[in-house]
Amino acid sequence: MALSEQTRAAIDQLVARYPERRTALLPALKLAQADAGWLPPEAIAEAADLVGVPHSAALELAAFYTMLRTEPGPPTRVVVCAQLPCALRGAEGLIRELTHGLAAQIAAGSVEVERTAECFGACHRAPMARLNDAYRENLDADGRQRLIAEIAGQ
Amino acid sequence: MTVALDYAPVLLPHPGRRTPVSLTEYRADDGYAGWAKALKTMTPEEVVEQVKASGLRGRGGAGFPTGNKWGFIPKAVGAKYVAVNADESEPGTFKDRELIEVEPHRVIEGVALCCYAIGAETAFIYIRGEYVEAADRLEAAIAEAEAAGLLGQGCLGTSVNVRMLVFRGAGAYICGEETALLESLEGRRPMPRSRPPFPAVEGLYRRPTVINNVETLANVPAIIDRGSGWYNSIGTPPRNSGPKIFCLSGRVNRPGNYELPLGAVTIRELIDDYGKGVIGGKAVKGVLTAGVSAPILTADKLDTKLDYDSVQAAGSMLGSASLIVLDEDTCIVRAATLMEEFFRHESCGKCTPCREGTSWLFKILSRIENGRGAPADLELLLSLSGEISGKVLCALGDFATSPVVATIKQYRAEYERHIEDGKCPFAPW
Ligand SMILES: Cc1cc2nc3c(=O)[nH]c(=O)nc-3n(C[C@H](O)[C@H](O)[C@H](O)COP(=O)(O)O)c2cc1C
Ligand code: SF4
Ligand code: FES
Repeated sequence: MALSEQTRAAIDQLVARYPERRTALLPALKLAQADAGWLPPEAIAEAADLVGVPHSAALELAAFYTMLRTEPGPPTRVVVCAQLPCALRGAEGLIRELTHGLAAQIAAGSVEVERTAECFGACHRAPMARLNDAYRENLDADGRQRLIAEIAGQ
Repeated sequence: MTVALDYAPVLLPHPGRRTPVSLTEYRADDGYAGWAKALKTMTPEEVVEQVKASGLRGRGGAGFPTGNKWGFIPKAVGAKYVAVNADESEPGTFKDRELIEVEPHRVIEGVALCCYAIGAETAFIYIRGEYVEAADRLEAAIAEAEAAGLLGQGCLGTSVNVRMLVFRGAGAYICGEETALLESLEGRRPMPRSRPPFPAVEGLYRRPTVINNVETLANVPAIIDRGSGWYNSIGTPPRNSGPKIFCLSGRVNRPGNYELPLGAVTIRELIDDYGKGVIGGKAVKGVLTAGVSAPILTADKLDTKLDYDSVQAAGSMLGSASLIVLDEDTCIVRAATLMEEFFRHESCGKCTPCREGTSWLFKILSRIENGRGAPADLELLLSLSGEISGKVLCALGDFATSPVVATIKQYRAEYERHIEDGKCPFAPW
């Protein structure tokens, strides 16, 4: 079994929560992803079985949503928004500084710095980045150094 | 020049606050008074009539009259649903996030009133996956309201049942399109449905469903508590009634959410008086008013009033009122390239013209920005846009052409200069 006992129980609970079982599919995949940090094919299949849908239905979702990962990656993921409002306030500079300041961790495969064209609804606190699931906003010169130190210290 | 507005915010009455307003605080400020009033003294039809009379229009982008939308729900018994659109992914938009993070109970009260008005016992609040903090706060506030007997089985001692489920997305702008949102809730790939049938007839689980934006519903508690007459003393009725949150971002000194009556200020006043002007005192080159999804307005349109009709008359859309300010140092080709990169990333892929077209538009824009554009590229961009617009299933395809068409129309010389010089004439930013 690819999923932990705890995750299987949580998915069973989810399924009972909704008017139709299939609504639990996306939340189930998110729970499954939390187990290993990504979604190996066996985890996708098992989540589909628990919800009671064909494996292909779960695969389709795993491939569609950007927050679902079908490949393993570094444990620390920094995603910088480079959409227009952030770009107008220094997003590209932020990406350069993070890539430079975290070069050792990136080379070691423990950190990934990614640029995205998506907006995260933090344009008034630009530039910003998501550090795994948390927001880091108003990343001026000081904020950038603090973020680099925070990640390097992990 | 400052617009001395004697206006007390209704939706975000605590500007600058970052912590959530608790149930106790909210109630001390007349919170849930509208909910109690509706449950105890009004029929569902009266709630719908009150919202119709208020003139409230959808704040999610399209501006559709909310009371009319509720009135379309068939009266017949059987399951009905409310789906709250908290997917907020339009670049430049961050108002629903603040509403949920700071005023979760106002949102919940609005959702409850919508459930009562249409006879729904279950509401899904579809929140974008990245809004983890907001979703956590919302769930905590729902639990608070349930514990206080405001929600759940037998709300406030009546026979009315209301259950709210927070549903977290997983990163896809298209889920903000209302029928894709329903597909996502049903556990299917979130691609828009063709209409008819409309969601009011066959929505979630093929049952009648109302889909409303967070900010739209946040207006409803005060409308029910204080009446549509009071509501119409705000803004410029009948078509532009009530308050609106304006999201201001880009090259301004103080970006943020500013709640103001519709039609009360101009774009210039919003930038100068609320945004404290353009950074470095630079001149404005253009302003986007509906995120990246509607045509850019040039600087000669800065005296346009911020309401649905005035912005439309000026040649764009108010949409979700997400104003992005571009200054004189902003390369318009680079800006258009970034906007198109968004649509290329977010096209759901169902329609070929949108899926392939957004990719092509992005590639051509990129090569112009990088100094490798050809003189024929501008006509190519325009003709490609013509192949997308109006030939696809949902509005995303149309939105995706506006960064191209509007910028070429308004700033053609800047494009030509890139092509002639073989490089971008602006300093990188
Ligand atoms: C591509 C696309 C994305 C959209 N994104 C959102 C969104 O994030 N939030 C939202 O409220 N409406 C969004 N809309 C509009 C919704 O389809 C719908 O009109 C709205 O939720 C209705 O609520 P309202 O009447 O309260 O505005 C989007 C529309 C399209 C075509
Ligand atoms: S227009 Fe684009 S986003 Fe909309 S359904 Fe078609 S492919 Fe999907
Ligand atoms: S553009 Fe970066 S958060 Fe909105």
